[in-house]
Amino acid sequence: MKTKLTSLACFIGLAISSNTMAQTEIEKLRSEVDALNKKAQEWEAYQSVKQKMEQDVSLLNDKAKEWEEWKAPKTLVHLAGFADVGYTDRQDQTGSFSFGGFSPIFHYQFADQFMLEAELEFEITEAGKSEASIGYLTIDWFVNDYVALVAGKFLSPLGQFRQNIHPSWINKLASAPTGFGHDQAAPNADVGFMARGGYLMQSNNSFNYALYIANGPTLEADGSEIDMIETPGLGKDGDGSKTVGGRFGMFFPDSKFEFGLSFATGKVSVRSGTSPNYSYDASRSYDVAGADFNWRPAGIDLRGEFIQQEYGAESSSVAPDSGQWQAWYLQAAYRFSGTNWEAVARIGEYDTPTNSKDVEQITLGANYLFATNLVGKLSYEFNDNPNAGLTAADRVLVQLAYGF
Amino acid sequence: MKTNLFKVYKTGLASLTVIVGLSFLNTGFAEEKADTKGDFARGAKTWVENCVRCHNVRDPKELRDDQWITTSFHMRIRAGLTGQQTRDVIKFLQSSN
Ligand code: HEC
Repeated sequence: MKTKLTSLACFIGLAISSNTMAQTEIEKLRSEVDALNKKAQEWEAYQSVKQKMEQDVSLLNDKAKEWEEWKAPKTLVHLAGFADVGYTDRQDQTGSFSFGGFSPIFHYQFADQFMLEAELEFEITEAGKSEASIGYLTIDWFVNDYVALVAGKFLSPLGQFRQNIHPSWINKLASAPTGFGHDQAAPNADVGFMARGGYLMQSNNSFNYALYIANGPTLEADGSEIDMIETPGLGKDGDGSKTVGGRFGMFFPDSKFEFGLSFATGKVSVRSGTSPNYSYDASRSYDVAGADFNWRPAGIDLRGEFIQQEYGAESSSVAPDSGQWQAWYLQAAYRFSGTNWEAVARIGEYDTPTNSKDVEQITLGANYLFATNLVGKLSYEFNDNPNAGLTAADRVLVQLAYGF
Repeated sequence: MKTNLFKVYKTGLASLTVIVGLSFLNTGFAEEKADTKGDFARGAKTWVENCVRCHNVRDPKELRDDQWITTSFHMRIRAGLTGQQTRDVIKFLQSSN
């Protein structure tokens, strides 16, 4: 009986102890499961964060790629240009609000080898019509570091005003110097071919050049006198002989001084009739000479230039005599330090084969620079005709010019 | 007298044209590979000195990187800058906008 009881007690004891063991095992397993569950949750959370991050990164990659593409594609496109609006009052006429022009400039660049540059010019006429023309359109080939070949219609590289100063945000006065306007003493543009570039010397001085061959100008006669020389960049070479010319410039950065010498030579003839049935009389000589400088001593912006176009005599022409157009100007501008105000003075002269068009001119101006490329101008032109009995009217011009 | 001076001037410049032309034929077309990258410091100097020759200096912040490339190539033609000066100016402008 005792043994029976003892074995029962043992059995119960064993059963109890194994039961307690199972209990702890379960507890352990449960906590392990809990831990695993937690881990699994964390893992899931981590996975979703990771997925989100991966999405973000790939999105950013796409964006970065777009940006890289934008920064470094083979072709770049850029729209620049300038426009101006204003008011002009001429002594002998009623003042008029004016829209000086809107000139968008297109740049299309292919790698670092080619560029198409084109300037359109929009103007409104007295009659309210809009007129569009091509200021220039060239394809430039950057052959190497010192030579670029430029073909098409280009602004005349002779002198500095027509090519570099005429945009209204650049010109410090609201008008072109007398003789440097359209079809006056300074050639405007030409159609042909040009080589240009520069060279930097050891001394840090630099040399720049532009050499061209082009269709050249044409003459217009009024009776037996030459009335006008046209240099808008003609699409046809009426005189049958190309014009060759160019400008050489030297720039001395330490003295802030640049000067340039220009020349061109060729043939020209008198054009008569109307488009498309123009006729041209016998060719005669055509020569251009010019000199220009710009200099910035002590914060004063000084520039000036001289230009002359001349044509030879031709006995068989309707206008047989030789003649010339000459013009020069000197300009000084000063921006008062610490302010946005600028004062400008310019003196110039225009001498033509027809006395009635000669002008002596002094122009004074006050400018407010909202930014370097956004300028408000008030300019007053004192005009005079030096020939006895002839006069030229003064003008006051107000202009707001924006280069973009 | 006037015409003679004119002729001398013209002949002088025409000879200069020929000399420049010949010197480029001789050396100009040799490919330059040595130093094709833009340099910031040189570019800053070129910018200060050259970009005021014709107009008020334009703020580097005005344009984006890609627009400074087209503008600088445009100005290279206008101003007669060398290819290296252009790359230097682009580097300077792109780092300052
Ligand atoms: C030789 C004269 C000249 C020099 C030097 C010059 N520019 Fe210009 N710049 C111009 C002219 C002219 C324009 C107006 C564009 C036109 O009419 O084709 C212009 C226009 C610009 C514009 C307006 C955008 C455009 O392309 O039309 C910017 C910006 C500019 N220049 C920056 C510069 C910088 C930067 C430099 C120095 C590397 C520089 N310029 C040197 C003549 C010059």
